[in-house]
Amino acid sequence: MREMIISELSQAVHDLARGFAHYLPRLIVMLVIACVGWLIAYVVKVILRSILRLVKFDRLAENAGASQMLSKVALPSATEVLSRFVFWLTWLGFLLLGVSVLGILGLQEQTARFFLFLPRLFAAMLILFFGLLAAGFAARAALLAAVNANVPSPKLLSLAVRSIILVFVLSVVFEELGVAEQTMLVAFGIAFGALMLGLAIAFGLGGRHMARRFLEEKFVRVRKEQDEDELSPL
Amino acid sequence: MEEENFLTDDFLRQLIDVGEADILVGLPTHNNAKSIGAIVQTIRNGILRSFPRERAVIINADGGSRDGTRELITGLSISDVRPVSGVYALRTLHAISTQYATTPRNSDALRTILSAAELLRVKACIVISPESEAITPEWISSLIRPVYYENFDLVAPTYCRHKFDGLLTTNLLYPMVRALYGARIREAYMSEFGFSGRLGSQFLGQNQWRDAIGENGTELRLMLAAVTGGFRICQSFLGKKDPVERRAADLVPTLRQSVGVLFSALESDFAAWSAISGSQDVPTNGNDPEVLLDPLRVNRKRLREMFVKGVSDLESVFQSILTPSTLADLNRIATLDEEQFNYPAELWVKTVYEFAAAYRKSVINRDHIIQALAPLFRGRVFTFIVENRNGSANDVAKNIEGLCLEFERLKPYLLDIWKSKE
Amino acid sequence: MNPNKDALWYKDAIIYQVHVRTFHDSNADGIGDFLGLEEKLDYLKELGVTAIWLMPFAPSPLRDDGYDISDYNSVHPSYGTLADFRKVLDSAHQRDIRVIVEMVLNHTSDQHPWFQEARSSQNNPRRDWYVWSDTDNRYNGTRIIFLDTEKSNWAWDPTSKSFYWHRFFSHQPDLNYDNPEVREQMWEVMKFWLEMGVDGFRLDAVPYLVEREGTNCENLPETHNILKELRRKLDEHFPGRMLLAEANQWPADLRPYFGDADEFHMAFHFPLMPRMFMGLKLEDRKPITEILQQTPEIPPSCQWSLFLRNHDELTLEMVTDLERDYMYDMYAQDKTMRLNLGIRRRLAPLLNNDRRRIELMNSMLMSLPGTPIIYYGDEIGMGDNISLGDRNGVRTPMQWSGGWNAGFSTADPERLYAPIIHDPVYGYPAVNVASQRESEHSLFQWMRRLIAVRKSSAVFGRGSIEFLYPANHRILAYWRRLGNETVLIVNNLSNAAQAVELDLGRYKGNVLIEMFGNNLFPRVRDLPYLLTLGPYQSYWFRLRRV
Repeated sequence: MREMIISELSQAVHDLARGFAHYLPRLIVMLVIACVGWLIAYVVKVILRSILRLVKFDRLAENAGASQMLSKVALPSATEVLSRFVFWLTWLGFLLLGVSVLGILGLQEQTARFFLFLPRLFAAMLILFFGLLAAGFAARAALLAAVNANVPSPKLLSLAVRSIILVFVLSVVFEELGVAEQTMLVAFGIAFGALMLGLAIAFGLGGRHMARRFLEEKFVRVRKEQDEDELSPL
Repeated sequence: MEEENFLTDDFLRQLIDVGEADILVGLPTHNNAKSIGAIVQTIRNGILRSFPRERAVIINADGGSRDGTRELITGLSISDVRPVSGVYALRTLHAISTQYATTPRNSDALRTILSAAELLRVKACIVISPESEAITPEWISSLIRPVYYENFDLVAPTYCRHKFDGLLTTNLLYPMVRALYGARIREAYMSEFGFSGRLGSQFLGQNQWRDAIGENGTELRLMLAAVTGGFRICQSFLGKKDPVERRAADLVPTLRQSVGVLFSALESDFAAWSAISGSQDVPTNGNDPEVLLDPLRVNRKRLREMFVKGVSDLESVFQSILTPSTLADLNRIATLDEEQFNYPAELWVKTVYEFAAAYRKSVINRDHIIQALAPLFRGRVFTFIVENRNGSANDVAKNIEGLCLEFERLKPYLLDIWKSKE
Repeated sequence: MNPNKDALWYKDAIIYQVHVRTFHDSNADGIGDFLGLEEKLDYLKELGVTAIWLMPFAPSPLRDDGYDISDYNSVHPSYGTLADFRKVLDSAHQRDIRVIVEMVLNHTSDQHPWFQEARSSQNNPRRDWYVWSDTDNRYNGTRIIFLDTEKSNWAWDPTSKSFYWHRFFSHQPDLNYDNPEVREQMWEVMKFWLEMGVDGFRLDAVPYLVEREGTNCENLPETHNILKELRRKLDEHFPGRMLLAEANQWPADLRPYFGDADEFHMAFHFPLMPRMFMGLKLEDRKPITEILQQTPEIPPSCQWSLFLRNHDELTLEMVTDLERDYMYDMYAQDKTMRLNLGIRRRLAPLLNNDRRRIELMNSMLMSLPGTPIIYYGDEIGMGDNISLGDRNGVRTPMQWSGGWNAGFSTADPERLYAPIIHDPVYGYPAVNVASQRESEHSLFQWMRRLIAVRKSSAVFGRGSIEFLYPANHRILAYWRRLGNETVLIVNNLSNAAQAVELDLGRYKGNVLIEMFGNNLFPRVRDLPYLLTLGPYQSYWFRLRRV
């Protein structure tokens, strides 16, 4: 009996060793790929960072308001963020390549699916990022315009604009990610519609005098009292 | 040269027929049929009276008028084709017109005029605003004489204006140009002015202007180019200036084409203005500019209200632009009631300078920075009106002079925040 | 020569204005004379002129260059005898050259026997032949013509102790045309010369014949009646002879002198001449077209007489103050050149001896509507001598050659009536007929060709004029038409090359033939006709439908 156990054990160890020997080279290859990948990713990151610094990408980002956003979420500068992102992406790519080399069946399929999902994730992130930017820009533009036109409650208007755009952007992001598409669609529809309706009622009811005056001004050219007292700045 | 492609073939043909000229009067227009006839006749009289022997031409750069403005102008030319009764002229006086676009853009109009002046090798050129109904024939002589006979390159106008007319100029443009560029040009934003062919050609060739083509406010750029280029500048008293009808909604576009242009010019002219300290008087012809003191009804309350609301609503925007201490001061002022409200000169200067620095760094979109200045300007206007409510012409002048000195005193402050990286 | 052959000969004429004294001296006394002139008629024939206008040669104390006449029926002995004059007439007629002489109607010299008698006493029968007054404030407000020398139109006569009227120099008392004897006598004088064979008279100073209180004493209806009477008699007894009016007036005031073709045949177009110079300096056709637009229509048998310069100053009476100042500043900066509201310079010096400008002005002279008059010496580009007083600077001896006295006279140079011009630019070694005849490209040869082309078509003398108004104001362009013949003249008034587009629409399909070289120019099409001209260039085109 002892001999049977020993032979089974040795058989098992043997199988394990064989399996190990079967996978070891692949593991080694995977590690090599990982290391090489890291190197390449690092080089790419450095090059990209230099290029971005050269074209003053930071400046551009500042202009668009991206820097503010990044600093709000305690991220470093746009150049840095982009370079690091590209680094991780590249390395991840190589890692996954290495994993596929291992030849573990299920893993390969998952890897493939993950790779397919990646561009959509990237797109969604981009949409979110630019959407946030646009929302911020539009909100500020609306705020300024409302303040200068002496429209009542400009902050509310600004918030409304920001909300509308954010809702829209989120919907597109979720649709892109394929997460609860239908739900999101309907939710967006309801939210957007409700928001619009609310605004229409608010402005329509509350601002009907203003609307009338606006129309009168445009088509009848009646000068308002306050304009008579306006000075010529130049 | 790009200029020939910018001008239409038809206009070029008309320029060929005019040939070389000594004096050019440029008229940018857009639907000015009501007033332009009388203005062009006055211009014509001015030319015939003061420069009867010179070869003169009136060039109209039109932005798509549909009320017959162009025909009114060209109909006033003097030539042997149609004898003009009651007008005696030694020479033909051409009045030609071109449409540079279907929507008016002052920079394109000015570019057309400058190009024509260069092609016709004109010695002296003036630009007249089509809204200047108070024009007299002497304006022509006042604006051209210094260029034509005394070798000046730029003649800025001075007027007899109401003390509360043109407050953006008196409270921002004039003091700032004076403090930074060192030239005391009273009407920093010139609606009519004279310039030499030399300055015009130089300005046309400048790259910075080419980049900014399409935006308004080119007159300001021209003036700054004259200052930084070391050209000879003087001022001539013209007379009364009709206050232009302006509505509350016009403040932001006005800010864009004046303050916006000034701020962006600061960037390219940094080397020039950072080295200057103090300011010089500019030679002036004719009477001193007068200040009219008749009482004027102004809705002061609204000005203060817009300031207060602006400060509170735009808090987030101001946080990106102003320093914390300045913002705190503004918040403090916003709490004052009408009797005690005061936007002192020093704070105003700091505000403007910080805006300029923010503009340069593009902390947020530049156009938004300009828009954000509007409510603050209104607050400043309130204070200015209150301070000068009962003042004599001398008092008003002193008040403005005080403001200018404040701008000059705080110039190092601007240089500080300009250079610092936020 | 049969004077009846062509009653309108003066419309096609090329007139040469010359003073006998200045032209050629045959008897070595230093003064030009008739026989000298007769010797040079071949030259004039070669140039192409068809008529000569002789300045006054009647006996005279010569205090106004012969316009102060002391004997109407004779010739000044310095110039020869009446027989000499007849010889000139005959020789000229043989060469088909007509002769126009001066008739000074308005006044005589104070040395004339008539005036000597009139002034001798208040009761003299000839007393009334002149205009007398006890005071000098009659006809107040009448302008003074010789501003530089005369202070008043009245002069005091110590002999008869009264004032006499004179519109010109004080030694030229005005005849009294209210007196029928005067009128009769003057006709007899004219008859004397007409019977001898002269072809026409230039009547000097005609606006001033009659005075009336309360008027400006110019162009009065009475004056016109007298002139009409003279014309009537002329037509009756001497058909085919011509009367040329010297009246320095605005075109509208000149028109009455043509009457209904019953007064003068021709009149000088004084206002046009300074405007041609002005247009040249301004580089703008406006002064020229405007004066011609304002020129009234004249009867078909009448004719304007055009000229660039003459023996007098370039008069600036008929221009505005602004224009006069401009002309002074441009053409006579040196104040000594200015005289009596005019400029006393010759054509070439006025144009800075610029050959192209001289050609342009002559080209306009020959193509504008009217009969051209060439002042002697201008065909070779003679200069002037300002240091000679009054208007004598433009009346120096004709320069025939580079030799002794420029070929004018064999006398000693000191005996000449006036010094010959001898500066390096205009002096006779540089500017003279002989050398210009030899040179193919001289001004003289050019003038010959110009005159020949002008004579090749009747359209210039007899045709209508219509201006084109191209947008380029430096181009003066006009049509000359007569019957089926159409000529297009295009002049560039500027000293820079010009491009011009002409609207020749009516003549679509026609080909242009340039008249000097007879070369073809492109056909007229729908589009505006593009022409380019060099500085001061002029084109003469004949239109032909091929």
